[in-house]
Amino acid sequence: MRKIAVIYSGNASHHRTFTEPRYKQYIDSLIYLPEFLNTSLEGVEVLFVPSQLNEKLLLQAKEKIIDFAQAGGIVVAFGPQPWEWLPNQKWEERETNFWWWLEKDAESGLVLAEPTYDLFNYITLEDATWHQHGVFWPVEGAQKLITTEDGGAVMYVDKVSTNGTWIITTLDPDYHFGSYFMPATERFLDGFIPWLAKGEM
Amino acid sequence: MAQVNPILYLDPGHAFGLSNRTNPFMTANFTLVDQYSLTEMDLSSFNCIVVHDFADQEYLYKNKSIIEDFLNEGKIVIFCGHLFKEWLPGCPIFTPRNIQSHKDYEIFVEKQHPIFDGVSTDDMTYNKGVAGFFSRVTHAPIPANAEVLLTFHDQMPITYIDRYSTKGTILVHAGRDLFALRMQNKSTDRISNQLLQWIEDEFKELQQGGNQS
Repeated sequence: MRKIAVIYSGNASHHRTFTEPRYKQYIDSLIYLPEFLNTSLEGVEVLFVPSQLNEKLLLQAKEKIIDFAQAGGIVVAFGPQPWEWLPNQKWEERETNFWWWLEKDAESGLVLAEPTYDLFNYITLEDATWHQHGVFWPVEGAQKLITTEDGGAVMYVDKVSTNGTWIITTLDPDYHFGSYFMPATERFLDGFIPWLAKGEM
Repeated sequence: MAQVNPILYLDPGHAFGLSNRTNPFMTANFTLVDQYSLTEMDLSSFNCIVVHDFADQEYLYKNKSIIEDFLNEGKIVIFCGHLFKEWLPGCPIFTPRNIQSHKDYEIFVEKQHPIFDGVSTDDMTYNKGVAGFFSRVTHAPIPANAEVLLTFHDQMPITYIDRYSTKGTILVHAGRDLFALRMQNKSTDRISNQLLQWIEDEFKELQQGGNQS
């Protein structure tokens, strides 16, 4: 199993999500965000950067996270990213499609771009389907896993921008599960976190 | 020096809250600061602190004496969220609702109150016919003598006012930021302005020694 460290914001939803025993069993340590710069990442293989982190502290952490990836580490980033901190970040904010499922003949607009990717032995596209806050336009050579119909990336893997691996998604199940809303987000985490610990990337 | 707005809104600095920094309602009614400024601020010019559901509660717990001292000066703290560390006097750790049906999310008025005046419970319970946005947890048992405003069908409290745990007034709402309930074209739009008015009225009462009356 990979050694996973999660950056912990101290907010209520992250407290629930990352202390939930089903997920905690795969998490080696929680690094409290205000202490991140003073915490050693020695031995950490996966650094999980949840959604909705404090802007100032996240941007202060940027260099250390990039250094971790340059040393070959795996970085996971969840949620909308209005601030520049990901390598080759091209984030496009879109109006959140909260209500698509109430429409007749509802389509979420999500496309499984790499059905043979190992993650999809752990989750289905339905498990990743609730709403999106925007899309990424990844750098050439990155692998899009889930996209919108127009090809914007909802989830992608970037092994080209640094020496490490970036698993980046606009989805924010860490928030929704942690705030007791939206069952699909729980199914997502039930598969995603075990995959992160032992799946093929 | 320009007059500061007397309501201090601790901004968690999260992505969803970015628009608050420039939103006219927010800039007109609050002094918005990064949450981590709390320990460095002179709080004497503020009457009320608003703590958001995305707040870093580890930080608040570590600095809970600041909150308690502020309240004991006869001031107001509003917390909307799920309390998981005991940083707010009298407020117990939240309990999530056990949801069997959408009825378990239904909102009931326990006591008519100016904050929710003219707001229909249906508008609180449902958003485009979907229940669960307004509240999904409870803080129980509430502190002694606290005044419950809203509950679930089984009397579990959603929103309460506590004038007894400190010399000030604490408003706890087990849901998202009440000030964010705006521009939805339903009666819940009334809450944000009515809550602002309540802060003003409550602070006057507190200053006149009206607490615990």
